[in-house]
Amino acid sequence: MSAAKSRARAPVRFDLDGGALALLEASHALPLVSIVVALRSGSAADPTGKSGLARIAMRMLRRGCEGMIAEQIDFRIDSLGAEMAVDTAPSTVAIHAQVISRSVGGLVELLTRLLTTPTFPIDELERLKRETIAEIVEARDNDRVVGQKALQRTLFEDHAYGRNSGGTVESVASITRDDVMAFYRRYVVQGNIVVGISGDMDADQAPVVARALIAGLSRGAPAPDDVPEPTMRRGRRLLVVDKPERTQTQILVGTMGTSTHDDDHVALVVANAVFGGTFTSRLMKEVRSKRGWSYGASARTVVDRRRQAWVMWTFPAAEDAAACLKLTLELMGTWVEKGVTPREVAFIERYLVRSHAFEVDTAAKRLHQALDVELLALPADYYSSWTDRVRAVTPEAASAAVRNRIHPADLLAVVVGTAAQVLAPLREAIPDLAEASVVPFDAE
Amino acid sequence: MRDPGAARRAWAEQANGEAVPSAKLTYEGSQPFGGELLHRWRLGNGLTVLLLVDGAAPVASYHTWFKVGSRHERPGKTGLAHLFEHLMFNETESLKAGTFDRKLEENGAETNAATWVDWTYYYESLPAERVKLAIQLEAERMTRLVLREPQVASEKEVVANERRYRVDDDVEGSANELLYKTAFSQHPYQWPTIGWMEDIQGFTPEDCVAFYRTYYAPNNATVVVVGDIRERDVLLAIRNAYGTIAAQAIPAEDIDPEPVQLERRETEVRKPTATEKLLVAFKGPALGDADHAVATVLNEVLFGGRASRLYKTLIVDRELATDVRGWVSTFRDPGLFECWATARGTHTTHEIQAVMDDAFARLRADVVSPEELARAKARLELGLLQQLETIPGKAEQIGFFETVLGDPSHAFRRVEAFRRATESDVRRVARRYLRDEGSTVVRVLPESGAAREAAQ
Repeated sequence: MSAAKSRARAPVRFDLDGGALALLEASHALPLVSIVVALRSGSAADPTGKSGLARIAMRMLRRGCEGMIAEQIDFRIDSLGAEMAVDTAPSTVAIHAQVISRSVGGLVELLTRLLTTPTFPIDELERLKRETIAEIVEARDNDRVVGQKALQRTLFEDHAYGRNSGGTVESVASITRDDVMAFYRRYVVQGNIVVGISGDMDADQAPVVARALIAGLSRGAPAPDDVPEPTMRRGRRLLVVDKPERTQTQILVGTMGTSTHDDDHVALVVANAVFGGTFTSRLMKEVRSKRGWSYGASARTVVDRRRQAWVMWTFPAAEDAAACLKLTLELMGTWVEKGVTPREVAFIERYLVRSHAFEVDTAAKRLHQALDVELLALPADYYSSWTDRVRAVTPEAASAAVRNRIHPADLLAVVVGTAAQVLAPLREAIPDLAEASVVPFDAE
Repeated sequence: MRDPGAARRAWAEQANGEAVPSAKLTYEGSQPFGGELLHRWRLGNGLTVLLLVDGAAPVASYHTWFKVGSRHERPGKTGLAHLFEHLMFNETESLKAGTFDRKLEENGAETNAATWVDWTYYYESLPAERVKLAIQLEAERMTRLVLREPQVASEKEVVANERRYRVDDDVEGSANELLYKTAFSQHPYQWPTIGWMEDIQGFTPEDCVAFYRTYYAPNNATVVVVGDIRERDVLLAIRNAYGTIAAQAIPAEDIDPEPVQLERRETEVRKPTATEKLLVAFKGPALGDADHAVATVLNEVLFGGRASRLYKTLIVDRELATDVRGWVSTFRDPGLFECWATARGTHTTHEIQAVMDDAFARLRADVVSPEELARAKARLELGLLQQLETIPGKAEQIGFFETVLGDPSHAFRRVEAFRRATESDVRRVARRYLRDEGSTVVRVLPESGAAREAAQ
């Protein structure tokens, strides 16, 4: 295959029965096929008090179907040389499967059975709930994950984006078989499904496979997209997540970020890349290169259907935490106040445009871009016109986007560390701090 | 039969012309790499160059693998290979600090590096038409790095923070460090590649310069280039960039083989965690040992997928664990066959260990079923294909196997070895390696009653 052909291609689209959509990105470079069965709804649709339902319900599909118990399904997947996993996000939940080409028929047959004839055995549901709760407890060992969860629930509070896709110990415990059945009947329907196939499959085979996967499902309709725009509390807040014996802290600073439908979305992405998107960004230069305070220092804009967070991350030693937080807030303030320079913008645009080759260098990546457009309701040309839109961003536009969208006066700093050691200096490090609180690391 | 290398050799002869001996290119042949051909070249100064033209995407990946890792360190100076890897991104004689990364980023490249026990490697993945930039920069820092006190001091802080992140504040990282420290008494595999904290903090610029002058030489390195490249253009650029660098005398290794372990070793550590963790390890085969592929199949029988023996028993059926994993270390010298389990709730490592011991005993006593063997082989084949999905992934496989075994296509030979493995082979390997007296056990216990209650 020539490079030119690779660049020119876009996934092939097929409309399926009942409003379902299939996307194919073929590549015969390796004897591998990936299949994604994604719903146009995710954990944001979990009922109040039942967070984790979308993930549990989709994981239950491989815990029993007509003619097969969970153990037989597990044996079958492994025998095929296949892998199958569930990925949950606020706006979509998906089964990802990958298989050696010679076994693709067997995988499609199995996946079809799992999707269309699940039995949701009650003992398997209880087993999965116990497994999930144990995983939630275990995740408390990972300070970064602890920090991310605390930031999400504290920044967005009661909004759907404030819920963890995996659920909490209490919410998972409350999920019943009726909840799972109701989820399946409402969401696992043709009208709410996008099938993605990438890898070693031809364009004439793909629609046959995709149709077979969903033929046995009821028609249904796409899930309503009724998640409201999130808002955040005014003022500067500090939340210390207290964990014993930390030699290091995880510091996450969050505020409201961008929507892909903003006129200045790409301008903000460009400005953010200058600030904290690369190894030579302002954050890395000041925090790591000059001071050696943190192994990493970055800032990112999260993308979803609604406006999502802007998050800055460092992880300094406990004794450097306050100084590091103070410095990063000053850098943030300067970024917002003074914007970015023409030289910085010219540099980062070259980086973003030239490195784009690695966003589309495999069939799986190209497919996922197309799936993102569908599932996250991105503008249709979000990826296809990406490099042109990056090139068009002026330094003035990038600076204006930061000024208009990022508000340093309203932010949340989450620090995972040993409170007795870090709380007092951290309070001092945040000018105009409105509120400080401490929660134990195993609060969720 | 026509000599398939004749055209390349003829071209090299012509291209070499009046080149100095250190810059002369020699073609050393080709070998299949999947459906493609991997070509081996060598410069007069000893630099090995492996090229794989792959036009799947308009990108290239440029890897430089050095045959130096933490095995070449000594007590008191542990972590030097890794610290030095960080310093390689600093100033050179013609590039100010920070310029190396800026030049690469400006050209759309991703760059990083890794150090482990047997090797250190650096890579740049970049648009294919810009591969010459990687060639120039890598040649520059192979021989003209500048090491000053401020950069060394700052980078020591960065590495200390990396150690806190990966080891000191990470339950699994600290347990793993303790495992190798306990299992090895002579071999350098006993110390962590990131180094002991006090060693990291004690390094001087002189330590770093001495390390650089000893191990960073063309005859101790392999360059791997994979992607949508023109072979001859890349070779000429490599010759021009590296041709004047002199070969060095690389010191002979002075490593004591690890003595045979004659008794079970056990240790435990307390951490602020809700549940107990267990590491059970046996002395395992070296990567180049014919038993390694069979041991990997055995590992897959125990841990690969939900249908595997220990996953099914410990997580699905008896619900004693949340997470179980196994790994046969892919080291040049004999390493470990590691088994990891995270206990669920208030279950203990002793309960889990009893199940594991039973599984090991069964593998020593009985042959595995044909179905289990087929499942393990299918999963291992899938794993290989997944590693080859990207251009950088292919370059990494080539560089790794060339550096550790001298065989850049070994990934495919491993799959063939997996396919050949029989039920009898698996039992023989179980009997040889899963010996109680060759085992080491690390238990991680929750520190406080409070953490323990959280698990209930």
